[in-house]
Amino acid sequence: MSLFAIRRSLLAHPLALVGLILLTTLVAMAAAAPLLTPYALEDSFAPMLTPSSEHILGTNDLGYDLWTELLHGARTSLTLSLSAATLACGLGLLVGGLTNASPAAGTVIMRLIDIMLAVPRFPLIILMAAFIRPDSRSLALFFVLFGWPSVARIVSATLRTESQADHVLAARALGASRGRILIRHLLPSAIPVTMTRWVAEVQHIIMAEAGLSFLGLGDPTLRTWGMTLSHARRYAALWISDVWQWWVLPPGIAIAAVCLSLVMIGLGLDQITSPEMA
Amino acid sequence: MINKLLQYCLTIWAVLTLNFFLPRMIPGNPLAQLDTVEGLPVALSQEQRDQITAYYGLDQPLPTQYARYIRGLAHGDLGWSISYNAPVSDVLIGRLKWTALVVGASTVLYVLLGIALGGLSAWHHHRIIDKVILLGGSALGALPSFFVGMLLVMLFAVRLRWLPLSGARSATSLGATGGAYLGDIARHMILPVMALVLTSVGQVSYLTRNALVQVLGQGYITAARARGLRERSLLVRHALPNALLPVVAFVALRLGFIAMGAVMIETTFAFPGIGLAIVEASTSRDYAMLQGAFAVVTVSIIVANIIGDLLQHVIDPRLRRPVQ
Repeated sequence: MSLFAIRRSLLAHPLALVGLILLTTLVAMAAAAPLLTPYALEDSFAPMLTPSSEHILGTNDLGYDLWTELLHGARTSLTLSLSAATLACGLGLLVGGLTNASPAAGTVIMRLIDIMLAVPRFPLIILMAAFIRPDSRSLALFFVLFGWPSVARIVSATLRTESQADHVLAARALGASRGRILIRHLLPSAIPVTMTRWVAEVQHIIMAEAGLSFLGLGDPTLRTWGMTLSHARRYAALWISDVWQWWVLPPGIAIAAVCLSLVMIGLGLDQITSPEMA
Repeated sequence: MINKLLQYCLTIWAVLTLNFFLPRMIPGNPLAQLDTVEGLPVALSQEQRDQITAYYGLDQPLPTQYARYIRGLAHGDLGWSISYNAPVSDVLIGRLKWTALVVGASTVLYVLLGIALGGLSAWHHHRIIDKVILLGGSALGALPSFFVGMLLVMLFAVRLRWLPLSGARSATSLGATGGAYLGDIARHMILPVMALVLTSVGQVSYLTRNALVQVLGQGYITAARARGLRERSLLVRHALPNALLPVVAFVALRLGFIAMGAVMIETTFAFPGIGLAIVEASTSRDYAMLQGAFAVVTVSIIVANIIGDLLQHVIDPRLRRPVQ
């Protein structure tokens, strides 16, 4: 299926359309963060200010503006998850293609992937984070490292099925080279499943990163949504006053908004890959 | 199947080996982690240093250390926890029952609830109730479990004061026995279990719904309908058993994700399970504890996956037929 056809079906699916609009809005807000807040991350004010026209979400116990923190959290979380998921999918597509190009190497690679996938990811990430204390780049590297095998597996399976399809057999009968068949005829068929994986990966990374920061295992110099939540939880009088409404709710809802937009896009993609479901 | 078991064993070996090499791959010696200011507030004395070095055989060549590590594992020796000053295995065994309790209870609940909601959704396919369940489940699943946990604490423990804030037992009922003892634990478990169930139920219901919709379109269902069977018994007795096959596989695989949820939830509620042990160990730099907890969690998840695989073979005869 061509990218154009996928785009057309996605835009025709009401939920997926809402999801795409939501995600685009969030990405745009993150990109325009410096325009949406007059303050820099390091600016500090009086602590525990309630929301006002100067501080839309008030300030925390250290006097940092929470709206600024939220916007910059969006930048970190979205940059990290979108880029790591894209890299993981690219690598997965590449390896999946490789298993098709060379069946002998493919068998070995698939065995390796089976082993990698059987290891529960999150405990492993915690373990590595506890030893290495990652900065944002090594964090992204973790997620790519643990993300590509599932993409490669599904791409490889799709290519194997697709290589028996009539149009591929026809191309082979016409004397097309292995490489040409792979690139022109096989890989396009793997695009919808790769996109489905991408959506799931971004979601997983957003959640896992927020989780790591919440546990205090992320990069302490980064401002992320998980970090704001983790910080809020340590504030003793969090729940007995109203501060949770502007300290805890916004980052939680932001994470949920990203994930929900991805879920909706995923539902749309599901309809493309298996139309009888939705 | 033998092939698959072999592969699982290989995985367990790979994980345990990684567990061994990871701390040793970091520049400097393993004790360097303890020497830093954030590591331990007081520098290790030469005597302590020798003791730890001798305990782990750090002065031996790597293959000897590795053999020793594997031999220790085979005897259930996971090392010595510096923060508890006790064998890691003893600490973890005490923790394991709490995690098993919370994960077990929430798995049973979210699977049953998910199947029921998925059935309802497929039954009303394309109607408003289907969409409500689908979107509601997805929206809940989009929330991080620790965020849901925090809100539950705020509502039920701080505002309404119905349920305890955190922990697994209250100090006032430590001596309690029988019903009071169990009741106290149950009250502490409600919120953690609720957070896990709320964030997981959507996926099971979506999966059940899709599987049911597919099964309901098959010939044998049409045939059953033509025989005049009631719609309800059609759904429950004829369609559901077949539709549950992918759900079984999913639940076994999902245990890995639940492990993630458990780590977050136990931290949120200060619930003394293995997840909290992992987090405490990583903040107090108790590496033996960290590695031990990781080994226990990973191996349990892989074993759960093996059981899920076997279970599928038992309930789905199609899988037992040899592939050409």
